[in-house]
Amino acid sequence: MEGGDFLSLLKQNGHLPEAPTAGVAGEVAFEGTEGTTILAVRYAQGVLIAGDRRATMGNTVVYDRADKVLCIDDEAVMALSGSPAVAYEIARMLEMSLQHYRRSQLQRLSMDGKLRTLSRLLRENLPLAMQGIGAVVPIFAAFDERDASGKIFFYDLLGAQFESVDFCTTGSGSHIVRGALYYLDRWGENRLAEMGEADSLELVLKMLETAAEYDTATGGYKPGARVFPQVMSVTSEGIEIIDEGRLEEIYRTRLPRD
Amino acid sequence: MLEEPYRWIEAIRNRREYLDDQLQGASPVVGMAYQGGLLLLTTTPGPRKLFEVYNQIAFAAIGHPADIEKLRKAVIDIAHIEGFNLSASDVSLQRLVSFGIGPLMKGAFDEIFRSPFIARVLLAELELEEGEFYAIDADGSFAPVGPFAAVAGTEASAEGVVARLKERDGRDLELEDALRVALEAWACGRLLAEGEEERAPDDARIVDFLGRTLAEVNVEAAVLDRALPTKSKFRLLESADLERLLAAFAH
Repeated sequence: MEGGDFLSLLKQNGHLPEAPTAGVAGEVAFEGTEGTTILAVRYAQGVLIAGDRRATMGNTVVYDRADKVLCIDDEAVMALSGSPAVAYEIARMLEMSLQHYRRSQLQRLSMDGKLRTLSRLLRENLPLAMQGIGAVVPIFAAFDERDASGKIFFYDLLGAQFESVDFCTTGSGSHIVRGALYYLDRWGENRLAEMGEADSLELVLKMLETAAEYDTATGGYKPGARVFPQVMSVTSEGIEIIDEGRLEEIYRTRLPRD
Repeated sequence: MLEEPYRWIEAIRNRREYLDDQLQGASPVVGMAYQGGLLLLTTTPGPRKLFEVYNQIAFAAIGHPADIEKLRKAVIDIAHIEGFNLSASDVSLQRLVSFGIGPLMKGAFDEIFRSPFIARVLLAELELEEGEFYAIDADGSFAPVGPFAAVAGTEASAEGVVARLKERDGRDLELEDALRVALEAWACGRLLAEGEEERAPDDARIVDFLGRTLAEVNVEAAVLDRALPTKSKFRLLESADLERLLAAFAH
Protein backbone atom coordinates (compact mmCIF):
# COMPACT_ATOMS: atom_id res chain seq x y z
CA MET A 1 0.00 0.00 0.00
CA GLU A 2 1.20 3.44 -0.85
CA GLY A 3 2.12 5.91 1.83
CA GLY A 4 2.86 5.70 5.49
CA ASP A 5 6.44 4.57 5.01
CA PHE A 6 8.56 7.58 5.88
CA LEU A 7 11.90 5.85 5.35
CA SER A 8 11.02 4.90 1.76
CA LEU A 9 9.61 8.37 1.16
CA LEU A 10 12.91 9.96 2.16
CA LYS A 11 14.83 7.52 -0.03
CA GLN A 12 12.61 8.10 -3.05
CA ASN A 13 13.17 11.81 -2.77
CA GLY A 14 16.90 11.48 -2.32
CA HIS A 15 16.94 12.75 1.25
CA LEU A 16 18.61 9.71 2.73
CA PRO A 17 22.18 9.55 1.52
CA GLU A 18 24.09 6.29 1.68
CA ALA A 19 26.18 5.98 4.81
CA PRO A 20 29.66 7.33 4.15
CA THR A 21 32.47 4.78 4.21
CA ALA A 22 35.69 5.73 5.89
CA GLY A 23 38.57 4.36 3.86
CA VAL A 24 38.44 0.89 2.39
CA ALA A 25 35.75 -1.36 3.72
CA GLY A 26 37.14 -3.95 6.07
CA GLU A 27 40.26 -1.92 6.75
CA VAL A 28 39.01 -0.68 10.09
CA ALA A 29 38.67 -3.28 12.77
CA PHE A 30 35.21 -3.48 14.27
CA GLU A 31 35.00 -1.93 17.67
CA GLY A 32 31.80 -1.28 19.55
CA THR A 33 31.55 2.29 20.76
CA GLU A 34 29.03 2.29 23.50
CA GLY A 35 30.42 4.07 26.52
CA THR A 36 27.38 4.37 28.73
CA THR A 37 24.97 2.39 30.87
CA ILE A 38 21.31 2.18 30.09
CA LEU A 39 18.87 -0.21 31.66
CA ALA A 40 15.22 -1.09 31.73
CA VAL A 41 13.46 -3.03 34.47
CA ARG A 42 9.91 -4.30 34.65
CA TYR A 43 7.97 -3.57 37.82
CA ALA A 44 4.42 -4.16 38.97
CA GLN A 45 2.86 -1.28 36.99
CA GLY A 46 5.05 -1.20 33.90
CA VAL A 47 8.64 -0.51 32.95
CA LEU A 48 11.30 1.84 34.28
CA ILE A 49 13.90 2.84 31.75
CA ALA A 50 16.98 4.82 32.71
CA GLY A 51 20.36 6.01 31.55
CA ASP A 52 23.37 7.88 32.87
CA ARG A 53 24.25 11.28 31.38
CA ARG A 54 27.89 10.93 30.37
CA ALA A 55 29.04 11.15 26.77
CA THR A 56 32.60 10.07 26.08
CA MET A 57 35.05 9.99 23.23
CA GLY A 58 37.84 7.53 23.93
CA ASN A 59 38.86 8.34 27.46
CA THR A 60 37.66 11.93 27.33
CA VAL A 61 34.39 13.02 28.91
CA VAL A 62 32.71 15.17 26.28
CA TYR A 63 29.49 16.08 28.01
CA ASP A 64 27.87 15.34 31.34
CA ARG A 65 24.25 16.06 30.52
CA ALA A 66 23.57 13.90 27.49
CA ASP A 67 20.01 12.66 27.09
CA LYS A 68 20.02 8.98 26.33
CA VAL A 69 16.43 8.15 27.17
CA LEU A 70 14.09 9.59 24.58
CA CYS A 71 10.31 9.63 24.13
CA ILE A 72 9.45 8.31 20.70
CA ASP A 73 5.77 9.15 21.00
CA ASP A 74 3.33 9.26 23.91
CA GLU A 75 3.44 5.47 24.32
CA ALA A 76 7.00 4.36 23.69
CA VAL A 77 10.45 5.22 25.03
CA MET A 78 13.85 4.37 23.68
CA ALA A 79 17.18 4.40 25.48
CA LEU A 80 20.36 4.47 23.47
CA SER A 81 23.88 3.33 23.93
CA GLY A 82 26.43 3.83 21.22
CA SER A 83 27.55 6.57 18.90
CA PRO A 84 25.56 9.66 19.93
CA ALA A 85 25.33 11.24 16.45
CA VAL A 86 23.83 8.11 14.96
CA ALA A 87 21.73 7.35 18.02
CA TYR A 88 20.02 10.75 17.95
CA GLU A 89 19.45 10.48 14.23
CA ILE A 90 17.84 7.07 14.63
CA ALA A 91 15.64 8.31 17.47
CA ARG A 92 14.61 11.34 15.42
CA MET A 93 13.94 9.22 12.39
CA LEU A 94 11.82 6.80 14.39
CA GLU A 95 9.83 9.62 15.97
CA MET A 96 9.20 11.23 12.60
CA SER A 97 8.27 7.91 11.00
CA LEU A 98 5.62 7.32 13.65
CA GLN A 99 4.29 10.87 13.30
CA HIS A 100 4.16 10.61 9.55
CA TYR A 101 2.41 7.26 9.77
CA ARG A 102 -0.18 8.51 12.24
CA ARG A 103 -0.98 11.61 10.22
CA SER A 104 -1.02 10.06 6.77
CA GLN A 105 -2.73 6.77 7.65
CA LEU A 106 -5.05 8.23 10.30
CA GLN A 107 -4.20 5.47 12.75
CA ARG A 108 -1.38 4.69 15.14
CA LEU A 109 1.36 2.29 14.24
CA SER A 110 1.04 -0.83 16.39
CA MET A 111 3.73 -1.74 18.89
CA ASP A 112 4.96 -4.48 16.57
CA GLY A 113 5.06 -1.97 13.74
CA LYS A 114 7.20 0.37 15.83
CA LEU A 115 9.61 -2.43 16.70
CA ARG A 116 9.89 -3.39 13.07
CA THR A 117 10.57 0.21 12.04
CA LEU A 118 13.39 0.44 14.58
CA SER A 119 14.83 -2.84 13.23
CA ARG A 120 14.87 -1.39 9.74
CA LEU A 121 16.61 1.78 10.91
CA LEU A 122 19.33 -0.22 12.64
CA ARG A 123 19.79 -2.34 9.56
CA GLU A 124 20.16 0.82 7.46
CA ASN A 125 22.88 1.89 9.83
CA LEU A 126 24.88 -1.31 9.38
CA PRO A 127 27.64 0.19 7.16
CA LEU A 128 28.47 2.76 9.84
CA ALA A 129 28.23 0.22 12.63
CA MET A 130 30.62 -2.13 10.82
CA GLN A 131 33.19 0.63 10.52
CA GLY A 132 33.27 0.89 14.25
CA ILE A 133 32.08 4.50 14.36
CA GLY A 134 28.32 4.37 14.32
CA ALA A 135 27.11 1.39 16.29
CA VAL A 136 23.90 1.90 18.22
CA VAL A 137 22.33 -0.59 20.62
CA PRO A 138 18.93 0.59 21.77
CA ILE A 139 16.49 -0.61 24.39
CA PHE A 140 12.85 -0.02 23.57
CA ALA A 141 10.08 0.06 26.18
CA ALA A 142 6.35 0.24 25.62
CA PHE A 143 3.14 -0.69 27.36
CA ASP A 144 1.43 -3.56 25.60
CA GLU A 145 -2.35 -3.08 25.76
CA ARG A 146 -2.95 -6.64 24.62
CA ASP A 147 -1.86 -8.22 27.88
CA ALA A 148 -1.75 -5.01 29.94
CA SER A 149 1.93 -5.23 30.80
CA GLY A 150 5.09 -3.24 30.21
CA LYS A 151 7.44 -4.75 27.64
CA ILE A 152 11.17 -4.35 27.15
CA PHE A 153 12.85 -5.04 23.82
CA PHE A 154 16.49 -4.88 22.90
CA TYR A 155 18.36 -5.11 19.65
CA ASP A 156 21.69 -6.21 18.35
CA LEU A 157 23.77 -4.18 15.91
CA LEU A 158 22.17 -5.83 12.91
CA GLY A 159 18.67 -4.92 14.00
CA ALA A 160 17.57 -8.29 15.32
CA GLN A 161 14.92 -7.70 17.94
CA PHE A 162 14.61 -9.62 21.19
CA GLU A 163 12.04 -9.36 23.89
CA SER A 164 13.72 -9.39 27.23
CA VAL A 165 11.78 -10.85 30.07
CA ASP A 166 12.26 -8.78 33.21
CA PHE A 167 15.33 -6.62 32.80
CA CYS A 168 17.78 -5.51 30.19
CA THR A 169 20.91 -3.42 30.14
CA THR A 170 23.37 -2.36 27.46
CA GLY A 171 26.41 -0.13 27.15
CA SER A 172 29.92 -0.36 28.53
CA GLY A 173 28.75 -0.51 32.15
CA SER A 174 26.08 -3.10 31.51
CA HIS A 175 28.11 -6.15 32.46
CA ILE A 176 28.56 -4.64 35.89
CA VAL A 177 24.85 -4.35 36.59
CA ARG A 178 23.63 -7.35 34.65
CA GLY A 179 25.02 -9.75 37.21
CA ALA A 180 23.64 -7.73 40.09
CA LEU A 181 20.18 -7.62 38.49
CA TYR A 182 20.24 -11.34 37.88
CA TYR A 183 21.26 -12.01 41.46
CA LEU A 184 18.51 -9.80 42.85
CA ASP A 185 15.87 -11.18 40.55
CA ARG A 186 16.75 -14.77 41.39
CA TRP A 187 17.62 -14.62 45.08
CA GLY A 188 16.25 -11.27 46.22
CA GLU A 189 13.26 -10.86 48.48
CA ASN A 190 10.97 -10.16 45.54
CA ARG A 191 11.15 -10.78 41.83
CA LEU A 192 12.04 -7.50 40.08
CA ALA A 193 8.79 -7.53 38.15
CA GLU A 194 6.78 -7.71 41.37
CA MET A 195 8.32 -4.61 42.95
CA GLY A 196 6.36 -1.43 43.47
CA GLU A 197 7.43 1.77 41.76
CA ALA A 198 9.33 3.28 44.70
CA ASP A 199 11.42 0.12 45.27
CA SER A 200 12.09 -0.32 41.59
CA LEU A 201 13.15 3.30 41.20
CA GLU A 202 15.58 2.95 44.10
CA LEU A 203 16.96 -0.22 42.52
CA VAL A 204 17.50 1.46 39.15
CA LEU A 205 19.40 4.37 40.71
CA LYS A 206 21.55 1.99 42.75
CA MET A 207 22.38 0.04 39.61
CA LEU A 208 23.46 3.19 37.77
CA GLU A 209 25.64 4.22 40.72
CA THR A 210 27.21 0.78 40.72
CA ALA A 211 27.96 0.99 37.02
CA ALA A 212 29.43 4.48 37.45
CA GLU A 213 31.69 3.17 40.20
CA TYR A 214 33.38 0.60 37.95
CA ASP A 215 32.93 1.96 34.43
CA THR A 216 34.66 5.22 33.57
CA ALA A 217 32.33 5.84 30.64
CA THR A 218 29.28 5.89 32.90
CA GLY A 219 28.60 9.07 34.80
CA GLY A 220 27.26 9.01 38.34
CA TYR A 221 24.96 11.30 40.27
CA LYS A 222 26.63 14.66 40.90
CA PRO A 223 24.70 16.52 43.58
CA GLY A 224 26.91 19.64 43.45
CA ALA A 225 26.47 20.13 39.72
CA ARG A 226 22.90 18.86 39.88
CA VAL A 227 23.47 16.13 37.33
CA PHE A 228 20.86 13.40 37.64
CA PRO A 229 20.36 10.30 35.57
CA GLN A 230 17.33 10.18 33.33
CA VAL A 231 14.52 7.90 34.39
CA MET A 232 11.13 7.40 32.75
CA SER A 233 8.27 5.10 33.56
CA VAL A 234 6.04 3.49 30.95
CA THR A 235 2.68 2.36 32.29
CA SER A 236 -0.94 2.10 31.20
CA GLU A 237 -1.16 5.80 32.07
CA GLY A 238 1.47 6.68 29.48
CA ILE A 239 4.99 7.94 29.92
CA GLU A 240 6.19 9.76 32.99
CA ILE A 241 9.50 11.53 33.21
CA ILE A 242 10.62 11.09 36.82
CA ASP A 243 11.47 14.60 37.92
CA GLU A 244 14.79 15.55 39.45
CA GLY A 245 13.26 16.58 42.76
CA ARG A 246 12.03 13.07 43.30
CA LEU A 247 15.35 11.53 42.25
CA GLU A 248 17.20 13.85 44.60
CA GLU A 249 14.98 12.80 47.47
CA ILE A 250 15.74 9.13 46.85
CA TYR A 251 19.47 9.76 46.60
CA ARG A 252 19.38 11.71 49.83
CA THR A 253 17.36 9.24 51.88
CA ARG A 254 18.03 5.84 50.33
CA LEU A 255 21.46 6.14 48.69
CA PRO A 256 23.54 8.28 51.04
CA ARG A 257 27.06 8.98 49.87
CA ASP A 258 29.78 7.25 51.82
CA MET B 1 -5.92 20.83 -32.76
CA LEU B 2 -5.06 21.83 -29.23
CA GLU B 3 -1.86 23.50 -30.41
CA GLU B 4 -3.99 26.38 -31.53
CA PRO B 5 -4.07 28.97 -28.74
CA TYR B 6 -7.79 29.48 -29.04
CA ARG B 7 -8.51 25.77 -28.64
CA TRP B 8 -6.31 25.62 -25.60
CA ILE B 9 -8.06 28.54 -23.97
CA GLU B 10 -11.36 26.95 -24.78
CA ALA B 11 -10.26 23.65 -23.25
CA ILE B 12 -9.17 25.41 -20.08
CA ARG B 13 -12.47 27.25 -19.94
CA ASN B 14 -14.35 23.98 -20.27
CA ARG B 15 -12.27 22.54 -17.51
CA ARG B 16 -13.06 25.45 -15.24
CA GLU B 17 -16.75 24.99 -15.93
CA TYR B 18 -16.49 21.27 -15.29
CA LEU B 19 -14.79 21.89 -11.94
CA ASP B 20 -17.29 24.54 -10.91
CA ASP B 21 -20.04 22.14 -11.80
CA GLN B 22 -18.50 19.27 -9.82
CA LEU B 23 -17.84 21.40 -6.74
CA GLN B 24 -21.08 23.32 -6.75
CA GLY B 25 -22.96 21.13 -4.31
CA ALA B 26 -20.15 20.86 -1.75
CA SER B 27 -20.76 21.71 1.88
CA PRO B 28 -18.57 24.73 2.75
CA VAL B 29 -15.62 24.53 5.13
CA VAL B 30 -15.49 27.43 7.56
CA GLY B 31 -12.20 28.54 9.12
CA MET B 32 -11.89 31.14 11.84
CA ALA B 33 -9.59 32.33 14.58
CA TYR B 34 -10.94 32.06 18.11
CA GLN B 35 -9.49 32.78 21.50
CA GLY B 36 -7.68 29.43 21.84
CA GLY B 37 -6.36 29.17 18.29
CA LEU B 38 -7.98 28.25 14.99
CA LEU B 39 -11.26 26.46 14.34
CA LEU B 40 -12.40 24.54 11.27
CA LEU B 41 -15.97 23.40 10.75
CA THR B 42 -17.94 21.69 8.01
CA THR B 43 -20.45 18.92 7.44
CA THR B 44 -19.86 15.68 5.62
CA PRO B 45 -21.92 12.78 4.31
CA GLY B 46 -19.26 10.38 5.61
CA PRO B 47 -15.61 10.80 4.63
CA ARG B 48 -13.54 13.08 6.84
CA LYS B 49 -12.72 16.51 5.49
CA LEU B 50 -10.56 17.98 8.28
CA PHE B 51 -7.07 16.62 8.91
CA GLU B 52 -3.80 17.15 10.71
CA VAL B 53 -0.80 17.93 8.51
CA TYR B 54 1.90 18.94 10.96
CA ASN B 55 2.24 20.12 14.54
CA GLN B 56 0.64 23.49 13.87
CA ILE B 57 -0.87 22.95 10.42
CA ALA B 58 -4.30 21.58 9.50
CA PHE B 59 -5.83 20.66 6.17
CA ALA B 60 -9.45 20.91 5.02
CA ALA B 61 -10.95 20.43 1.59
CA ILE B 62 -14.15 20.12 -0.37
CA GLY B 63 -14.42 17.96 -3.46
CA HIS B 64 -13.87 14.39 -4.53
CA PRO B 65 -12.77 12.22 -1.58
CA ALA B 66 -10.05 10.45 -3.60
CA ASP B 67 -8.57 13.77 -4.76
CA ILE B 68 -8.74 15.15 -1.23
CA GLU B 69 -6.77 12.13 -0.04
CA LYS B 70 -4.14 12.56 -2.74
CA LEU B 71 -3.64 16.22 -1.89
CA ARG B 72 -3.62 15.58 1.82
CA LYS B 73 -0.97 12.90 1.43
CA ALA B 74 1.15 15.16 -0.77
CA VAL B 75 1.08 17.99 1.78
CA ILE B 76 1.83 15.65 4.68
CA ASP B 77 4.78 14.13 2.81
CA ILE B 78 6.26 17.53 1.95
CA ALA B 79 5.80 18.81 5.51
CA HIS B 80 7.47 15.77 7.06
CA ILE B 81 10.40 15.78 4.65
CA GLU B 82 10.92 19.46 5.49
CA GLY B 83 10.62 18.77 9.18
CA PHE B 84 13.13 15.96 8.94
CA ASN B 85 15.71 17.78 6.83
CA LEU B 86 15.52 21.03 8.78
CA SER B 87 13.44 21.26 11.93
CA ALA B 88 9.81 21.29 12.99
CA SER B 89 9.86 25.08 13.25
CA ASP B 90 10.93 25.38 9.61
CA VAL B 91 7.74 23.76 8.35
CA SER B 92 5.76 26.82 7.31
CA LEU B 93 2.43 27.02 5.57
CA GLN B 94 3.57 29.76 3.23
CA ARG B 95 6.24 27.44 1.79
CA LEU B 96 3.99 24.36 1.77
CA VAL B 97 1.47 26.28 -0.31
CA SER B 98 3.63 28.25 -2.69
CA PHE B 99 6.17 25.48 -3.43
CA GLY B 100 4.04 22.44 -2.69
CA ILE B 101 0.34 22.15 -3.12
CA GLY B 102 -0.12 25.29 -5.27
CA PRO B 103 2.13 24.15 -8.14
CA LEU B 104 0.84 20.58 -7.75
CA MET B 105 -2.77 21.61 -8.33
CA LYS B 106 -1.85 24.08 -11.06
CA GLY B 107 0.11 21.37 -12.86
CA ALA B 108 -2.81 18.96 -12.81
CA PHE B 109 -5.20 21.69 -13.91
CA ASP B 110 -3.06 22.67 -16.91
CA GLU B 111 -2.58 19.15 -18.24
CA ILE B 112 -5.76 19.01 -20.22
CA PHE B 113 -5.50 15.36 -21.16
CA ARG B 114 -5.43 14.33 -17.54
CA SER B 115 -7.96 14.77 -14.83
CA PRO B 116 -7.52 17.83 -12.57
CA PHE B 117 -7.94 17.65 -8.81
CA ILE B 118 -11.61 18.12 -8.08
CA ALA B 119 -11.00 19.96 -4.84
CA ARG B 120 -10.67 23.29 -3.12
CA VAL B 121 -8.34 23.32 -0.16
CA LEU B 122 -8.17 25.37 3.01
CA LEU B 123 -4.99 25.15 5.06
CA ALA B 124 -4.61 26.57 8.54
CA GLU B 125 -1.48 27.49 10.43
CA LEU B 126 -1.43 28.31 14.10
CA GLU B 127 1.10 30.96 14.95
CA LEU B 128 2.39 32.27 18.23
CA GLU B 129 0.10 35.26 18.36
CA GLU B 130 -2.67 34.45 15.97
CA GLY B 131 -2.97 32.25 12.92
CA GLU B 132 -3.69 32.30 9.28
CA PHE B 133 -5.51 30.45 6.53
CA TYR B 134 -4.56 29.82 2.93
CA ALA B 135 -7.24 29.02 0.36
CA ILE B 136 -6.23 27.11 -2.77
CA ASP B 137 -8.63 26.86 -5.70
CA ALA B 138 -8.89 23.83 -8.00
CA ASP B 139 -6.74 25.62 -10.61
CA GLY B 140 -3.91 25.98 -8.11
CA SER B 141 -4.32 29.69 -7.45
CA PHE B 142 -3.74 30.44 -3.80
CA ALA B 143 -3.83 33.33 -1.40
CA PRO B 144 -3.34 33.97 2.30
CA VAL B 145 -6.75 34.95 3.61
CA GLY B 146 -6.15 36.03 7.18
CA PRO B 147 -8.02 34.81 10.26
CA PHE B 148 -11.42 34.31 8.56
CA ALA B 149 -11.74 31.95 5.64
CA ALA B 150 -13.90 29.55 3.68
CA VAL B 151 -13.89 27.21 0.74
CA ALA B 152 -17.28 26.54 -0.80
CA GLY B 153 -19.08 25.33 -3.89
CA THR B 154 -19.62 28.80 -5.29
CA GLU B 155 -17.80 32.08 -5.01
CA ALA B 156 -20.87 33.83 -3.60
CA SER B 157 -21.13 31.21 -0.88
CA ALA B 158 -17.47 31.53 0.19
CA GLU B 159 -17.69 35.32 0.17
CA GLY B 160 -20.88 35.20 2.20
CA VAL B 161 -19.24 33.03 4.86
CA VAL B 162 -16.15 35.24 5.14
CA ALA B 163 -18.26 38.40 5.30
CA ARG B 164 -20.30 36.95 8.13
CA LEU B 165 -17.20 35.76 10.01
CA LYS B 166 -15.63 39.21 9.73
CA GLU B 167 -18.78 40.86 10.96
CA ARG B 168 -19.06 38.52 13.97
CA ASP B 169 -15.29 38.65 14.66
CA GLY B 170 -14.90 35.64 16.99
CA ARG B 171 -11.23 36.16 17.83
CA ASP B 172 -11.99 36.74 21.51
CA LEU B 173 -14.57 33.97 21.85
CA GLU B 174 -14.21 30.74 23.81
CA LEU B 175 -14.51 27.53 21.79
CA GLU B 176 -18.16 26.95 22.55
CA ASP B 177 -19.26 30.38 21.34
CA ALA B 178 -16.86 30.25 18.41
CA LEU B 179 -18.42 26.96 17.30
CA ARG B 180 -21.79 28.65 17.16
CA VAL B 181 -20.44 31.50 15.05
CA ALA B 182 -18.79 28.99 12.71
CA LEU B 183 -21.90 26.85 12.37
CA GLU B 184 -24.06 29.87 11.58
CA ALA B 185 -21.54 31.02 9.00
CA TRP B 186 -21.61 27.52 7.51
CA ALA B 187 -25.41 27.71 7.23
CA CYS B 188 -25.11 31.12 5.60
CA GLY B 189 -22.73 29.65 3.02
CA ARG B 190 -24.95 26.65 2.44
CA LEU B 191 -28.00 28.80 1.82
CA LEU B 192 -26.08 31.05 -0.58
CA ALA B 193 -24.72 28.02 -2.45
CA GLU B 194 -28.17 26.63 -2.96
CA GLY B 195 -28.96 29.81 -4.82
CA GLU B 196 -32.13 30.40 -2.89
CA GLU B 197 -30.85 33.65 -1.49
CA GLU B 198 -29.88 36.76 -3.35
CA ARG B 199 -28.32 38.46 -0.38
CA ALA B 200 -26.84 37.07 2.85
CA PRO B 201 -29.62 35.38 4.83
CA ASP B 202 -30.64 36.92 8.16
CA ASP B 203 -30.33 35.22 11.56
CA ALA B 204 -33.89 33.97 11.70
CA ARG B 205 -33.48 32.27 8.35
CA ILE B 206 -30.20 30.70 9.47
CA VAL B 207 -31.61 29.38 12.73
CA ASP B 208 -34.58 27.96 10.87
CA PHE B 209 -32.31 26.34 8.27
CA LEU B 210 -30.06 24.80 10.92
CA GLY B 211 -33.10 23.45 12.77
CA ARG B 212 -34.26 21.70 9.63
CA THR B 213 -30.93 20.35 8.38
CA LEU B 214 -28.75 19.50 11.37
CA ALA B 215 -30.53 16.22 12.03
CA GLU B 216 -29.57 14.97 8.57
CA VAL B 217 -25.93 16.05 8.40
CA ASN B 218 -22.80 15.09 10.23
CA VAL B 219 -21.02 18.14 11.69
CA GLU B 220 -17.23 17.83 11.70
CA ALA B 221 -15.06 20.32 13.56
CA ALA B 222 -11.39 20.50 14.49
CA VAL B 223 -9.15 22.95 16.29
CA LEU B 224 -5.53 23.95 16.34
CA ASP B 225 -5.47 24.59 20.06
CA ARG B 226 -2.55 26.59 21.41
CA ALA B 227 -3.19 25.25 24.91
CA LEU B 228 -2.60 21.58 24.04
CA PRO B 229 0.48 20.36 25.93
CA THR B 230 1.65 18.15 23.07
CA LYS B 231 3.80 19.21 20.12
CA SER B 232 0.86 18.58 17.88
CA LYS B 233 -1.84 21.20 18.39
CA PHE B 234 -4.46 19.54 16.21
CA ARG B 235 -7.57 18.05 17.78
CA LEU B 236 -10.59 16.66 16.00
CA LEU B 237 -13.60 17.54 18.14
CA GLU B 238 -15.63 14.62 19.45
CA SER B 239 -19.38 14.35 19.49
CA ALA B 240 -19.39 15.31 23.18
CA ASP B 241 -17.75 18.64 22.26
CA LEU B 242 -20.51 19.36 19.77
CA GLU B 243 -23.48 18.06 21.73
CA ARG B 244 -24.54 21.37 23.26
CA LEU B 245 -24.05 23.28 20.05
CA LEU B 246 -26.26 20.90 18.10
CA ALA B 247 -28.87 20.76 20.85
CA ALA B 248 -29.17 24.56 20.73
CA PHE B 249 -30.49 24.42 17.18
CA ALA B 250 -32.67 21.32 17.45
CA HIS B 251 -36.36 22.01 17.15
